[in-house]
Amino acid sequence: MKARTAAYAGVQLGDYLTGRGLLALMLTALAAWGYGVVNGLTLSVFDPSASMETREQLQQAFDVLLAAFALVAAALSAQSLVARHRRRRYDRVLFSNAVSPVRYYAQGFVLAGLGSALLGAAAAEVYAVAVHPISLAGTAAYLVLAWLSIGSLAFLLSVLTPWHTPVLIALLGADLAVDRLVTALHSDGRGGAAIDLAQYLLPPGHVIVALASSFSRGLIVDPRVLAWPVVFGILALVAALLLLRRRPFGT
Amino acid sequence: MIELSHVSKTYAPTFGRSARALDDVSIRVAAGEVAGISGPAGSGKSTLLSLVLGHERPTSGTLRIDGMDPRRFVEREGIAYQPQRLGVPRRWRVVDALTRLAMLAGVRASETRARVDSAIRDLGLVEERRRRVKSLSQDARVRFGLAPALLADRRVIVLDEPLDGLSTESLELLRGLVVRLRAFDRAILIASRDTAELQRITDRVTFIDRGRIRRIGAQRPVTPANVETVFQLTIHHGGEHVVAVFPTSISLGRGTYSVRVSVAALNRGLRDLIDRGVLLTSVAPVNATIEPVPTPAMDAVAT
Repeated sequence: MKARTAAYAGVQLGDYLTGRGLLALMLTALAAWGYGVVNGLTLSVFDPSASMETREQLQQAFDVLLAAFALVAAALSAQSLVARHRRRRYDRVLFSNAVSPVRYYAQGFVLAGLGSALLGAAAAEVYAVAVHPISLAGTAAYLVLAWLSIGSLAFLLSVLTPWHTPVLIALLGADLAVDRLVTALHSDGRGGAAIDLAQYLLPPGHVIVALASSFSRGLIVDPRVLAWPVVFGILALVAALLLLRRRPFGT
Repeated sequence: MIELSHVSKTYAPTFGRSARALDDVSIRVAAGEVAGISGPAGSGKSTLLSLVLGHERPTSGTLRIDGMDPRRFVEREGIAYQPQRLGVPRRWRVVDALTRLAMLAGVRASETRARVDSAIRDLGLVEERRRRVKSLSQDARVRFGLAPALLADRRVIVLDEPLDGLSTESLELLRGLVVRLRAFDRAILIASRDTAELQRITDRVTFIDRGRIRRIGAQRPVTPANVETVFQLTIHHGGEHVVAVFPTSISLGRGTYSVRVSVAALNRGLRDLIDRGVLLTSVAPVNATIEPVPTPAMDAVAT
């Protein structure tokens, strides 16, 4: 049984790269165009003799797009992982073979994470050569972290509900909104422990977004900052696998 | 092999009234048997198949396949399953879909292509080989759905509405396929609304309506011993006696022969061969997906 699922790994990776991975890249490219239009970035910023200010502008643009790609790729990961298979009943044919749903989807999750890191690193390499130097290792590590935290949440939601994508968008949106509120309250000197704790009820989307800049610059990140997204991701992943084991067909 | 004992299934949604899809159903399908489940739409046929495949669990009663919980049996051995609806993404091409299914069915990489080609040929899908599944006619879709039964050698085959929308030619193909897939160690379960056709291709039809068994058709005497299966014999010397003992045997060359007989007839024939001084080196059941191909020229050299 292990061999059957393992033999299918290449197919799963190929499906991700040519499907959801490519879609995440295209959506990020669209976001890049929108970001350029909104911030008035023109082709002149790619001039090798551009000023330091322009260089910083490019770095910021890359950080925003990296965070966007990481979140979009993680959100899209759930599209084919479980819920769509159930909705269209593909799982009934797949798992009439001697294949464990838990192993199949766990493998799919890992491979999609690997695919996301590969695609993101490849796009970052192109960016580094053509536009502005960035840390490739840091970028790949960042994508893996985002995958573990937000991807695991998307995976869990995909096991729980057919409306996983709107629920994920709502949760991430709420998290980013609460983060803005907390930041505003702190800057006014009105922040408190209660409102800080409220953020732990929501996914660590704001932490992932904030970390893009440090990782893309190849900076050393305080492990305490990483603890929340890593622990959140592991808990979500374990919950998803336990639920799958208990109700493999969602019935 | 498949045993349902007082099985009931009730769906209890969070909102709305609960519905009993199966009520105290007891059925036994023995190895070597082709069993039919008939009944109108919504009678509980698909629920019954879902339980057999381990997609759902009975609310009460017990269901065992070869003594195991269905899900455990499926994860250990797999079941060849033809779903009522297309069970693969519609954008996949026929050949790619079958290759993927063969991989998941555990077909060795070196054999995958041959198995897929053979299934495509046997199901009459040669012209549709490169077409996307979504563009197949209803008739071709049903034939495509039968592929899992041909891609791997399974002990349990479950077909859900294989007669829906079949042309006359495809119906003949299905009839031939059922005969070919029947084996002494295999149970085949077919659900369909077409009771008359089920009576023709199965050994026994159980008619269910509103979740209950209404009647069970007369059963043909089927035991593992009298089900005809294809066996391959390998003979060291004395091959000239094989045709005399097994008149319908096919020589495959190099001292190997294919014979379609019941287990009882095989045993009688083997005794006869040994009495005639034939030296046998092996006897094995043949995977139903591999058709014997006679090679007289090679046979002449071997014997």
